[in-house]
Amino acid sequence: MLLTEKDARTICDKLLNYVKADDASVGVTSENYGHLRFAANAYTTSGARENVSVGVTVWIDKKRGAASTNEIDDESLKATVALAEQLARISPVDREYMPTLPQQTYKPVNGYAEATSNISVTSRAKTINDVITACEKAKVVGAGFHQARGTASASATRNGNFFYERSSLVSLSTTARTPDGTSSGYFLRNHFDVAKLDTARVAHEAIRKALDARNPRVLEAGDYPAILEPQAVADLLSFFAFTFDARNAEEGRSPFSAPGGKTKLGQKIFDERIKVYSDPWHPDLPASRAAQGGLPAQKIHLVRNGVLENLVYSRFWAKQKGKEPTPGPVNNILESSQPPVALEDMIKSMDRGLLLGRFWYIRGVDPRVALQTGLTRDGIWYVEKGKIQYPVKNFRFNQSLIELLAPGNVDMIGKPERVGSSEGQGGNASLLPALKVKKFHFSSQSEAV
Amino acid sequence: MTTSRRDFLKTAGVAAGALSISTLPDWVSKVVAAEEAAANGVDKDALADVALSTARKLGVTYADIRINRYRIESISTREQQVQNVSRSQNFGFGVRVLYKGTWGFASSRDVTPENVRRITQQAVGIARANSVYQRKRISLVPVEKVVTSWKNAFQKDPFEVSIDDKIQFLLALNQSAMKTQGVSFVSSSMGFVNEQKFYASTDGSRIEQYIVRANPSFTVTAVNRSTGDFQTRSSLNGPQGMGYEYIEKHDWKREAQQAGEEAVMKLKAKPVEPGKYDLVLHPSHLWLTIHESVGHPTELDRALWMEANYAGTSFITPEKTGKLQFGSKLVNFIADRTQPAGLATVGYDDEGVPGQRWHLIKDGVFIDWQTTRDLAAMTGQKKSYGCNHADSWGSISFPRMPNVSLQPASSNTSLDDLIAGVEKGILIYGDGSYSIDQQRYNFQFGGQVFWEIKNGKRGEMLRDVAYQSRTTDFWNSLDALGGEATYELGGSFGDGKGEPGQSNAVSHGCPPARFRQTNVLNTGRTS
Repeated sequence: MLLTEKDARTICDKLLNYVKADDASVGVTSENYGHLRFAANAYTTSGARENVSVGVTVWIDKKRGAASTNEIDDESLKATVALAEQLARISPVDREYMPTLPQQTYKPVNGYAEATSNISVTSRAKTINDVITACEKAKVVGAGFHQARGTASASATRNGNFFYERSSLVSLSTTARTPDGTSSGYFLRNHFDVAKLDTARVAHEAIRKALDARNPRVLEAGDYPAILEPQAVADLLSFFAFTFDARNAEEGRSPFSAPGGKTKLGQKIFDERIKVYSDPWHPDLPASRAAQGGLPAQKIHLVRNGVLENLVYSRFWAKQKGKEPTPGPVNNILESSQPPVALEDMIKSMDRGLLLGRFWYIRGVDPRVALQTGLTRDGIWYVEKGKIQYPVKNFRFNQSLIELLAPGNVDMIGKPERVGSSEGQGGNASLLPALKVKKFHFSSQSEAV
Repeated sequence: MTTSRRDFLKTAGVAAGALSISTLPDWVSKVVAAEEAAANGVDKDALADVALSTARKLGVTYADIRINRYRIESISTREQQVQNVSRSQNFGFGVRVLYKGTWGFASSRDVTPENVRRITQQAVGIARANSVYQRKRISLVPVEKVVTSWKNAFQKDPFEVSIDDKIQFLLALNQSAMKTQGVSFVSSSMGFVNEQKFYASTDGSRIEQYIVRANPSFTVTAVNRSTGDFQTRSSLNGPQGMGYEYIEKHDWKREAQQAGEEAVMKLKAKPVEPGKYDLVLHPSHLWLTIHESVGHPTELDRALWMEANYAGTSFITPEKTGKLQFGSKLVNFIADRTQPAGLATVGYDDEGVPGQRWHLIKDGVFIDWQTTRDLAAMTGQKKSYGCNHADSWGSISFPRMPNVSLQPASSNTSLDDLIAGVEKGILIYGDGSYSIDQQRYNFQFGGQVFWEIKNGKRGEMLRDVAYQSRTTDFWNSLDALGGEATYELGGSFGDGKGEPGQSNAVSHGCPPARFRQTNVLNTGRTS
């Protein structure tokens, strides 16, 4: 059972009443979580978790201490506050201390569905049976992961702020492999409302990709024009909006840093159609109503018309630099200022190149240019003269994300879809489009399936 | 049996060499008192009886309950500022049942007899709902009943060392790093984990374990503002399954100063020319290559496609057992859950199987797997190697990696001896960027510090180095190993696997090793 607003407020009030420190921020989060895994066309693990966690941060003479617990009896709450205060007393002054906020006004966000939070285990079992049955009919071996989560959280400050919100998320991912292990397909989608998660589509697409990726041919590594499906874009860019930190850029350690201690703010470093923004009230991607430190979240543009329009200032860094703190980002949306191009039309327009469905094991190599390495996985196809010709074996790539989206490299941009990164298991969501780019760098072949 | 933290400290002898409970500062006593107040209301044996009898009545073939407390301390600093000092703790239980060959699991923070009964019913309800459609029934190999307690071999409980000492230590370390002109930033941190675990099962086992791990780290950054270039150098020594003595035994300040010097040198270092090089890999680097290319492909659940949807499968398939020439004849890998200071060292795993030590690869040939009770049963084995682990009371246990280590040469070969045998090569220290495919074939690793090797001698510093290879090509190219004196333990505090994702702490020991003709990229050129 998730905490009601009244229960959450009671816990926050208790914590603040125990606080003797000069300033404090307290929070409580309750969670209902359930999962079901399957592999080799059989059920593997399945479970549920109920938890409540409480966090306390205090400042005494600007010295900071923090403690947390999941025991919410009065004695444990008192002890947690006492611990945080003791840690503050023995800590040096927090030079980045910012007083906590007084009461803010928040505009409601609707990203919660009761049916997601209290998922039916019998209907979930049947949903997964339908997925496995589809795999069996197609003579492929299915594996996958269904998860559903509901959270209710509240935050309060000694200076009088309080907010409470609930959210939910359900996701299903499926991998289908041919029994000989030579081909594999994958599909993942999530939503905050279980009624809107198209589980049949997830199964169908994973199976279709596995069947379409049979008998892959070997291509040489090198630079190729490429179409990245929304999943592939999510695997690369699921945290893109969260990388625009002003302090890192101004301290010279970000791809948005410029020589001479400057930043690239105001420069057109991306294709002029690209817009990157955060919007807590987007109907397809509702996010938290509160940004950093409890600031009411607002719609913010980071990139518009390809221009780096905003860097993100923390409350501390904004004060240092005489700026306003940035009320976001709280989600990640990339879209085109021009009408979107359908994936089919991208394929039809391609003279020669690769269609990519998913990337895997992506790690940073050189932060100066946001150079990433990783691999293709679960389906890659060669396209020529507007048609998919044949599947191809996997590649390792080394690709700068800045160069990927740079002017001159982006050819077409699709309609944004709600999709989560596959390494994040669908636990996060962004609105990201398919992209057709003129050059994507593959550094070696990979025989893995 | 009711066990308070105070009792457990006494019975496990944890307080030896550290402060006694009665001399602890007031605030520690308050927290201990709060934990005890919670624990005093918890009779773990009685709760286990409730869970196991409820599960039995509902028709399970196996059940276990884990009642665990986790304590985490974290201190982070940058330059001469403290950024965070925090402690967290969480307590709860999880019940795992096997019903008609189908797993069910449920967990809660509310540790009362009534709730244990309800959660057990919920676990069985989940298993029952799924069992209606189950295709392949899961079974377990047997394990001997055991009633015991165990603690890992640490000397100084980090939770009983003053926070002030730790802060002063980190700030002094930062000062050392900033001594070199050109160093722009330094961040450093210390993290400590204490797991207090109770396990009971329908096999009759009752096991208590007390585990402490330490995770110090730092990163130095040098920025050239005129060119916009920046370079980092992170600590070479990783986390270990030790107490605060690990912080005290190593000269971190000296290493931090060296790191500052090397970060500045990296700004002016020579970009590597791409091509084939012989590599001499220091243990501070090689542990991660071992983790990714040896630890993961020898997990039996991957080979059986149980992880196909996320971590992936393995290029090693069961029929290759005893046949695959994984590496050269010098290559011997041992899996070990008993290794001193190992992060994955345990007395017993999370299904009551004792910690063990066994060969995965012997004289270059792949001979055995990492197993759990259900995986062993699936493949006709008679016993499990004890690799079952859950990262929380709220997580279902499943197969996780033991410590996997490369054995040193029997000779006294030194790092310099390895370098002496290289005409054109690169010496690599520290772990950097890493990426490997979902079957653990194709990999790419960076590092922290790269030195050119020319005609048997270490030359100038290089930058922008990463090497790419294929697992079996790489390990078959190994032609020399350091001796026992060169063996070091590296490791990770947070190896991710599973859905939902779980974290595992694991160590990998090795000597320095030499690999012939490996493909090297210049990452600065995005090649």
